[in-house]
Amino acid sequence: MSNAFVYNFDQVQNEMRAMAKELLESGEATMVIGWEKGALPYQSTPVMIRSAEDVDKLIWDAYCQQNLSTYLIDYIYTDEKVAIFAKGCDTRAYNRLIQDNRIKAEKCIVIGVPCPGMKNAREAARLPENAEVPMANACKECRYPNPVVFDKRVGTDVTAWCTERDFSDVEAIEAMPADDKYAFWQSQYTKCIRCYACRNICPACNCTSCIFDQSASGWCSKDINASENQFYGVTRAFHVAGRCIECGQCEMVCPSEVPIMLMNKKFIKDIDSLFGAHEAGLDTNTPAPLSHFSVSDPEEFM
Amino acid sequence: MSDNSVKTANDVAENFEPKILVFACNWCTYAGADLAGTSRLQYPPNVRILRVPCSCRVNPQFVIRAFQRGIDGVLVAGCHPGDCHYTTGNYYTRRRFLLINRMMEYMGIDPKRFHTRWISGAEGPKFQQVVTEMIEEVRAIGPNRKLRDDMKVTVNTDDIVASVEADTKVVADNV
Ligand code: SF4
Ligand code: SF4
Ligand code: SF4
Ligand code: FES
Repeated sequence: MSNAFVYNFDQVQNEMRAMAKELLESGEATMVIGWEKGALPYQSTPVMIRSAEDVDKLIWDAYCQQNLSTYLIDYIYTDEKVAIFAKGCDTRAYNRLIQDNRIKAEKCIVIGVPCPGMKNAREAARLPENAEVPMANACKECRYPNPVVFDKRVGTDVTAWCTERDFSDVEAIEAMPADDKYAFWQSQYTKCIRCYACRNICPACNCTSCIFDQSASGWCSKDINASENQFYGVTRAFHVAGRCIECGQCEMVCPSEVPIMLMNKKFIKDIDSLFGAHEAGLDTNTPAPLSHFSVSDPEEFM
Repeated sequence: MSDNSVKTANDVAENFEPKILVFACNWCTYAGADLAGTSRLQYPPNVRILRVPCSCRVNPQFVIRAFQRGIDGVLVAGCHPGDCHYTTGNYYTRRRFLLINRMMEYMGIDPKRFHTRWISGAEGPKFQQVVTEMIEEVRAIGPNRKLRDDMKVTVNTDDIVASVEADTKVVADNV
């Protein structure tokens, strides 16, 4: 985790600006998506740049956690050729979207950016100024900080600081008595306000029409109460099971701090133990675990 | 906590009759249930059978929906692997339910309340046995109170207001 201290953000930022300038001036890209500085020190927000004059808006710092790949979906039916900066997780999200047939590779230019791990913006907001800010939760367990696919790249590769996921949080819940588990999830899902931020930011939740936008299905509802919120939470987690690239964005954007990754990681853990280890988004050929099967899958239903 | 809290599990447990929902695949389990009927095999009248074209039609969310609407136990049943009328449907069912059953347990739902079973058209006695056992097990643990949407646990807006106020303060302190 000490990469963050030797990593030179400014140098990579200069390379990013030069790359963006070159792409826009040559006309190779009509738009570049990167990050700009937000209103607060711990906010770096997405920015769409269309003119070479504006490239100095681009920044690269320890708060550029937001995954940019999902924006590509918005341009699939336009004539734009969009370049995006992509960290390890953004490239896995990109593969995810290609595999789901939601974007087309020929309309995108992926500029890989090796990532030293991002800081936890939520903690930063709470800590006093100048305090040491811990790494974002998802980043702590990131095994692929370097881009797994790219057309161009800036910066130099970093060494991954994590080799295995930590499932101790999932195991702690598994060990609880049933009523405590239920009470825990109730306490979390009474906080959910159904803003759908977790869905909107997620590169695996990319359906053209989401079931939660269909109020007349008869079996899912827009009511906000513990029961319906939990229905939403578990349904969404199930829909991304096997396709979640573990970017942690869902949990990061949740205004109510619902521990969404605890659901996602439970599915990841079970998929690995039932159907063999799977890492979503590393390539575009390996089928997602729930989109195929094996006749030798474990049999528990005899 | 809820408007049903006056009626606790213990109050009603004495003459509690569980409601069990069976999602039965048209080609095997439904025929199996039919065979149980024509063979005059008795099982308690606590089951509601919902016929589906294939076990693979059962979206796991249907199971959760059933619990929300007051069902006490859910059985998802289809053809044995290799026998699916659509060749591979039940292999997908198997993957999905291996996962979602574990997730339901993770959410704190008693695993005695949900089962997935392969029951063929020739297995009338197996249908009788599986549903009878399930009814008795669910009867013993009492009515389901979890995930019920009539037990409205509403969102605690006070907490949300407090947390928004705290965040606003952090923002104000920082600018
Ligand atoms: S919640 Fe499900 S239906 Fe909605 S966008 Fe996500 S994956 Fe699609
Ligand atoms: S579910 Fe969360 S962690 Fe997984 S891909 Fe979606 S936003 Fe990222
Ligand atoms: S982001 Fe949080 S509050 Fe919003 S819908 Fe998702 S879980 Fe609920
Ligand atoms: S037809 Fe019976 S499980 Fe598919």
